[in-house]
Amino acid sequence: MLKALSSPVPSASGPSSRVRRRTVVLAAAVLTGALLVVALVAAFAGGGNSGVTEIDGNASAVVYATGHRPLAPDFTATTLTGSTLSFSSYRGKVVVLNFWGSWCVPCREEASALSVVAAQYQPSGVSFLGVDVRDTTASAEAFARNFHVPYPSVSDTSSLITQDFTAVVPIAGTPTTLVIDRTGHIAGAVFGTATYPELTAILAKVTAKGG
Amino acid sequence: MTDVRAPETDPFDPAAERDDQPRPAGGAFGLGGWLKWAWRQLTSMRIALILLFLLALGSIPGSMLPQRGTDPAGVQQYFASHPALAPLLNHLGLFNVFGAPWFAAIYLLLFASLVGCVVPRTFRLAGSARSLPPRAPRHLTRLPRSAVYATALPPADAVEVAARVLSGHGFRLRRPADGDAGHWVSAEKGYLREAGNLLFHLALLGVLVSVALGGLFGYKADRLLVQGDTFADTASALDEFHPGRLVTAADLGRFSITLNRFDASYIASGPQRGQPAAFDAQISYTEQPGGPVRTGQLEVNRPLSVDGAKVYLIGHGYAPEFRVTDARGQVVYNAPTPFIAGASGNFLSEGVVKVQDAQPQQLGFTGVFVPTAVDVGGTLESVFPAADNPAVSLIAYAGNLGMNTGPSQSVYQLDTGGMQRLTASPQVLLPGQSFRLPGGRGTITFTGYVPWVSLAITHDPGQLPALICGIAALGGLLLSFMIRRRRVFVRAGADPGGQPPQSTTVQVGGLARTDASGGFEAEFAALAAELRSACEQAARAQPAAHHRHEEE
Repeated sequence: MLKALSSPVPSASGPSSRVRRRTVVLAAAVLTGALLVVALVAAFAGGGNSGVTEIDGNASAVVYATGHRPLAPDFTATTLTGSTLSFSSYRGKVVVLNFWGSWCVPCREEASALSVVAAQYQPSGVSFLGVDVRDTTASAEAFARNFHVPYPSVSDTSSLITQDFTAVVPIAGTPTTLVIDRTGHIAGAVFGTATYPELTAILAKVTAKGG
Repeated sequence: MTDVRAPETDPFDPAAERDDQPRPAGGAFGLGGWLKWAWRQLTSMRIALILLFLLALGSIPGSMLPQRGTDPAGVQQYFASHPALAPLLNHLGLFNVFGAPWFAAIYLLLFASLVGCVVPRTFRLAGSARSLPPRAPRHLTRLPRSAVYATALPPADAVEVAARVLSGHGFRLRRPADGDAGHWVSAEKGYLREAGNLLFHLALLGVLVSVALGGLFGYKADRLLVQGDTFADTASALDEFHPGRLVTAADLGRFSITLNRFDASYIASGPQRGQPAAFDAQISYTEQPGGPVRTGQLEVNRPLSVDGAKVYLIGHGYAPEFRVTDARGQVVYNAPTPFIAGASGNFLSEGVVKVQDAQPQQLGFTGVFVPTAVDVGGTLESVFPAADNPAVSLIAYAGNLGMNTGPSQSVYQLDTGGMQRLTASPQVLLPGQSFRLPGGRGTITFTGYVPWVSLAITHDPGQLPALICGIAALGGLLLSFMIRRRRVFVRAGADPGGQPPQSTTVQVGGLARTDASGGFEAEFAALAAELRSACEQAARAQPAAHHRHEEE
């Protein structure tokens, strides 16, 4: 084997075979590298957006400045109790829109905070509405009973409502809570578990600014 | 080794290909010199290989430690079980390896190295493919192949005849310029080799770019869809979602798919009994919200193309339907529940039912779905994958599911740590049958079953370009391997010692730089013979030509 490897090579083909070997090694390296590199071109997170105020330095709870607020899509859906609800009927009010599911652990964690905030803000004209994502009516109603949720929810089994909202705000999963101003624009959001301080801070800004 | 020195840069010269050697100009390095040296080092093969190795090495912690992006619960667990080590690892970015700055540094350097290596080579190859052959060397008999013959033609005419022959064979010619002495012609063939090489390099760059496109703008996702259900292509509706780096939730397709019906048929007899015969998923879908509803069919290996994405049918199973009432008589669960087929065959499937809002205690069930159930010595076995005699076997638990706080759970696993087992032996239910839980905790009813399919959704904008570039790279490589670049030189001069009719000596020399596929020896011999006979023919015809010339 060694002998075969070290057998004399015709001198004329020496440099060219070296060049070729280098080309082959290069090709292999480039191809492997390309595959690896791009499989892993995974380090650049998107930069910050202008017009976004973070609540308590936390990027998961934000308020959008006027002029930077995307228009909330309209939808008509069936509530858990079976009646039809049109989102446009909320126009003129500040709405807290909570995307949740009975199967979702952080949704159970935030449920009591949402209920407390709802009890506090509903008397002053803020509306609350749940969007029940990938759920069944029986499980969702049991959740609502257990946590004494003081507001209705529409069913979004197919996630079609979520898809419409994701086109304007980056909803990466459940739970997500959006605060919609009186003009129907999305003024604030909590991505992930919402807490009482986050929700009240956003609502304080939105209800004040809306006038 | 034969030494053919041409005054200009010879594309055959291996020194011209050598790009991995620093060649500092002069002794002292200025800043520019150092930069040049650094760039040469970076774009050298050695450094590229080292970077590649580092990249592989750096990926190891990424596969051994839980990563935030894919397994945040695993990271939390690691912090809990290694309180001293975890903060240190976290500081080094080892829980987010593929997003860590040091990792980015490696692959950006590698990318620069590869591009910096391939681009200059591409230019050099393009130059080489356009270059003229070098001037004919003085002593052609020193070349690997050579032939000498005498002719009666004057040197200029002998070279002219040879040039015509070579040109007829598709050689690229070079004749003496104004300042060049002697009568000669240089001819070269096989430029397609350089074109192939060039194609290979360009295609490699294309592959890099396409793979980058796919990695940055593509995504992969999975979704399990129960018959009768609809899902919209949005992050929260997907079971698994692996977006490209520049893909945000808003960049996903806007389609939605409904599984109207799924049928699987199986071979009913013979040695192949139980093997799948056909799968057929009837779907309806919309490309855009509010758009027209289309119907279609999904089959294995025949994906649906919708809104720039491809949807593949990759699996199926059974979702038994359960209705659970709690101690207060409230219906707290009523849904098809996907069970996953195990390794035992014939679609014996396992799954769990979590009733997180049952009162007064949460309820949980681990279950087995048996499509064609047969009692074998007290245990249920499935003898056929179709649901000919479906049954479920359930073990009931009550207590804390662990779902009120903490990390998200798998829907296919029941954490029984905080739960109490309610029955000693599993309860077998046929469709329509109920089981009353002990202690008045409620009732579970097996109401029926529906099939489910699992779908893989991929969007890879770089796929087609990568395929085309890959094929082009292969073609270029083949061209450059199979085509020889070879040169033939002809030089004629008056022979002082020659006899009067044969007063001119013609030297023919030839060389092939890449003789891997052989055959140049025969080609040269045939060419030399043809040159010689063409010369003889021309010499015989010459007196007539002279005569005509005198008449004019």
